[in-house]
Amino acid sequence: MERAPLLQPDEQRLTDISAIAERRDQAALSRLFDHYVPKIRSFCLAAQPGANLMADDIAQEVMIRIWNKAHTYKPESASLNTWVFTLARNARIDYLRKNSRHQSDIDPEYLWQNIVDENADPFKDAQHKRDQERIQQGLNKLPPDQKEVLLKVYLEGKTHKEAAEELSLPLGTIKSRVRLALHKLTIYIKR
Amino acid sequence: MINYHPSIEILTDYAAGSLPLAHSLCVSTHLEHCNECQQQIKKLETLGAHLFDQGHTEHRQLSNLKDSFFKRLTEEPEDLVESPQANKKPVNEDVMQWDDYKIPNSLRQFITKGYNELNWMRLSPSFKIATLYNEEGGAQVALTRIKAGAHMPVHTHTGDEITLVLQGAFSDESGVYRKGDFINRDASHKHQPIVTKDAECICLTVLDAPIEFTGWFARLLNPLIRRYHPHSH
Ligand SMILES: [Zn+2]
Repeated sequence: MERAPLLQPDEQRLTDISAIAERRDQAALSRLFDHYVPKIRSFCLAAQPGANLMADDIAQEVMIRIWNKAHTYKPESASLNTWVFTLARNARIDYLRKNSRHQSDIDPEYLWQNIVDENADPFKDAQHKRDQERIQQGLNKLPPDQKEVLLKVYLEGKTHKEAAEELSLPLGTIKSRVRLALHKLTIYIKR
Repeated sequence: MINYHPSIEILTDYAAGSLPLAHSLCVSTHLEHCNECQQQIKKLETLGAHLFDQGHTEHRQLSNLKDSFFKRLTEEPEDLVESPQANKKPVNEDVMQWDDYKIPNSLRQFITKGYNELNWMRLSPSFKIATLYNEEGGAQVALTRIKAGAHMPVHTHTGDEITLVLQGAFSDESGVYRKGDFINRDASHKHQPIVTKDAECICLTVLDAPIEFTGWFARLLNPLIRRYHPHSH
């Protein structure tokens, strides 16, 4: 019996996402579920510790979006992790908006759809891969105080100002920690 | 040519999803005009994805969640598949153009036909304002429309103000602001802007309420916290 070649986990996930897009492959969705749902849940629990029902709801919503939108994913413009992160971010915003006493009339669906890529550009593609590697390596070397602030902003959903209040630090200190971190990761080069 | 961009802090909070929605609306509108900030956002999202990926994984049994998810997917697939038009207001390009201005995508949830359809309130012969919405206890989101060559009225406010130029241009002692420019002023800033003489100026403005921001997530989450922890108070 012929064996399927063994793929690297991230290559397997790329194969899975196109299997969903092309032939509604539920086994592929099942593998993505196992990989991403725990991450999405901890992303939600970071913002709201203990809110397991909310985390379950958002995780399912993201999996539904993956199922429905797999055909819109473009590997040349973003990694699969980045795509799923943006889906989780938007689903978390939408959930909080709809389930809050202070319901907002602003529909977040309209706000994060504008980053449209020009046609695939081999130069940009290569640059994107370099950005990926630099960020990955740089993150592991960041001083803990800088990483702490990044985690507050990205995972706990705090603004710079809220992070400052929570850590009892001046806003200026938070800003400079984020700037230093972004600079080290070569994400931000001062204009 | 865009000269005024959101600060890196605002862009980071936007990419992370922690920026209040009213402010995100201004950033989103700016991005439609600004390739430079779009590239910056892409990098910031890549960072978010790495932090997301490193998130510690809990050892919780998720098989029940998975079973019910796939049961739903198999039994009610129609409910889960969204039609492309769902939730989207119809956009008619012909009508969109009738007052010669293209409405940014980010504002189409509020403006379906054109700026003229809005409920403009005349505050002076040269100055009109249309409220898009008021966040309860939060920000006020509005459009301002000022005739060519006119002064903007002096106003006082205690919170920050974000202005995004949609059409035309205005200037103050610090510079000239054109279509797509993103201007963030704190309450202490005193300025008296003048619209350039060649055309009227339409701006999107977000004014933080005079009350102290207690934090967007905090405000949104208070009712949730009560719901999930009914005995914690
Ligand atoms: Zn910009």
